Amino acid sequence: MSQQASVSAGSSPSPAFEVNRLSFRYDSVRSSPSDAVSGWIIKGMEFAVHQGEIVGVIGPNGSGKSSLLKLLTKLVRPQEGSIRLFGAEMGTLSRESIARQVAYMPQDLSYDFPFSVLDMVLMGRFPYRRGGVWNLVGWERQDDLAVAEDAMAQTDVTHLANRMIDTLSAGERQRVLLARALAQVPRVLMLDEPTAHLDLNHQLDVCRILKRVHAQLQMTVVLVSHDINLASQYCDRILVMKQGAVVCFGSPQEVIHPQVLAEVYGCQVLVDAHPDTGLPRVSLPSQDGHQTVAVSGMV
Amino acid sequence: MIVHPPSQSSLSDPSTIAPPVPSRIHEGVASWQALRARRWYAVMGLMVFLTCGAIMFCLQFGAHALTMAELWSALTFTKSGSEEVARAIIWDIQFPRILMGLFVGASLAITGAALQALVRNPLADPYVLGISSGAAFGATIGLALGLGSIVGGLGLPLCAFIGGGLSIVLVYGVAASQGQLPMHKLLLAGVIVNAVCSALMMFATSILNPASLYRVVMWLMGTLSAPSIPALIGIGASLMLAVVLLLRESQALNLLAVGEDAARSSGVDSDRVQRLVFLVSAVLTGAVVSVSGMIGFVGMVVPHLVRILCGADHRLLLPVSALGGGILLMVADTVARTVVAPAEIPVGVITALIGGPFFIYLLMTRKYRFFA
Repeated sequence: MSQQASVSAGSSPSPAFEVNRLSFRYDSVRSSPSDAVSGWIIKGMEFAVHQGEIVGVIGPNGSGKSSLLKLLTKLVRPQEGSIRLFGAEMGTLSRESIARQVAYMPQDLSYDFPFSVLDMVLMGRFPYRRGGVWNLVGWERQDDLAVAEDAMAQTDVTHLANRMIDTLSAGERQRVLLARALAQVPRVLMLDEPTAHLDLNHQLDVCRILKRVHAQLQMTVVLVSHDINLASQYCDRILVMKQGAVVCFGSPQEVIHPQVLAEVYGCQVLVDAHPDTGLPRVSLPSQDGHQTVAVSGMV
Repeated sequence: MIVHPPSQSSLSDPSTIAPPVPSRIHEGVASWQALRARRWYAVMGLMVFLTCGAIMFCLQFGAHALTMAELWSALTFTKSGSEEVARAIIWDIQFPRILMGLFVGASLAITGAALQALVRNPLADPYVLGISSGAAFGATIGLALGLGSIVGGLGLPLCAFIGGGLSIVLVYGVAASQGQLPMHKLLLAGVIVNAVCSALMMFATSILNPASLYRVVMWLMGTLSAPSIPALIGIGASLMLAVVLLLRESQALNLLAVGEDAARSSGVDSDRVQRLVFLVSAVLTGAVVSVSGMIGFVGMVVPHLVRILCGADHRLLLPVSALGGGILLMVADTVARTVVAPAEIPVGVITALIGGPFFIYLLMTRKYRFFA
């Protein structure tokens, strides 16, 4: 089951991401609890994300998920290996040209300053700004506003345009951040825990919007999540990480397997079929711990 | 102003927009853009008008009260009555001082606004970087060594500026690593340099003679009296340069203010912007402290007031803060030199007494977003 994920590009055009022997560690501190000796956060990862697919990255705390996301957005640079973005070596691309292709939605931002929702969404137009002598402060043009308006319509926040960001609920903020990412008109959308801290209703909202955006714009989506069930329901393929390496990378049916999850997370889980979709669903066993792994419908 | 809001032409003549506007554009978008542009013009126009009004107010109600007719004839160089005295008072004494108030207040406020965004902390002010303490220490050493009156009266500001410059080098050297300028290290370095310079200055003042000690204390309280013309030109030129450089990065500051990683992923070259904003702010603060001492409260309170009134967009916040800080300091200085004339109250006392209660009132009522 634990297939090594060296996926060849196949017949499709150059993959969105092609990751080769990628290794990374933070320079100053050996902070990784998982590998205290070498300090490597990411160790020799190899995989490819094809255009137009939704990929979920799951794994235990400290497995390097967030670092991988930062590497794929060039927020940090790897010590070894390479990342190719649509065939171009990422190290050679400028921050702005990456921003025009890859949008990153952070888990949360700081809301100490009273920006309006429209201000916030228009920040996504930064990589497209046109300065110059007569536009010293970089005002947006009308087409920038059109894109922002479209992004807000996509995520249902148009009615909030003039509200202050600090007066919104967590679910509304998350949709605003998504609109800001969409305003970058990216080919790839990177999401860090898109449904963390959201209640069920807002989780569903965000997932529906993601699905819709993906379908309409043929966007490639890479999301990091602790929620295995969310990844199972919405992702085409799931990448399972442990200690900075790929454990396996495949469809939810292949990857959401009790043995794999037990190996990665170190605890027994139950996997059954989702009543609606038939996709694998994970739940924790009862507390007594004597229950053996129950698998139904999957094997 | 040097700033230009969204191109006017696109408002009046949509056909001039280069890229084709997507068909899904609807009326809301056009009206938003019109609103943003109109708001920018309206607010900036109002601020320029208020600034001119404040200059006139300060000219008229200075320590040497003039009639409207005297003021007018002096300003327009037309002859009438006691024109010679009035002209001398206005052009040689009042005007340089008022202009210095405008420049110093504007510098402190725009620096405060930029630094609050840079360190993502609304409580930051120009003095948080430790530059001011370095300048104060330099001034104290200059006075102790009797350098205060060399170079045509510019000895003291020069000593202060050298002290400020050395502390910029020190803070930057401590905080920067591998071309990056981590904000938490920058804040810590500023606080520590502040503490060390303050200690050194206290040591220096403890061994000064009483006359020099008095000058140090007065200088520390901050004053705008009798600015020299070279100092005025120097501050004015640095302020203009700083305004241009900061406005160029104002959208980047917007992104940095809400999150560094998100800003970088949206294409902001954060290392360059952080370095630039730090250096511009530090040099301007050093220059201002050198000529006017430590005038408190303007740099922290004015950006807050403007944010409450106009929102957080730095493209509007920075220029409005600059003019607002200038107005506040001009008026505060006029109050400082008139209420107990012919004596003067240190202007820092007035800024704190005006700014403090007003700020508390706004905080308690939380009247955010009047115009935003």
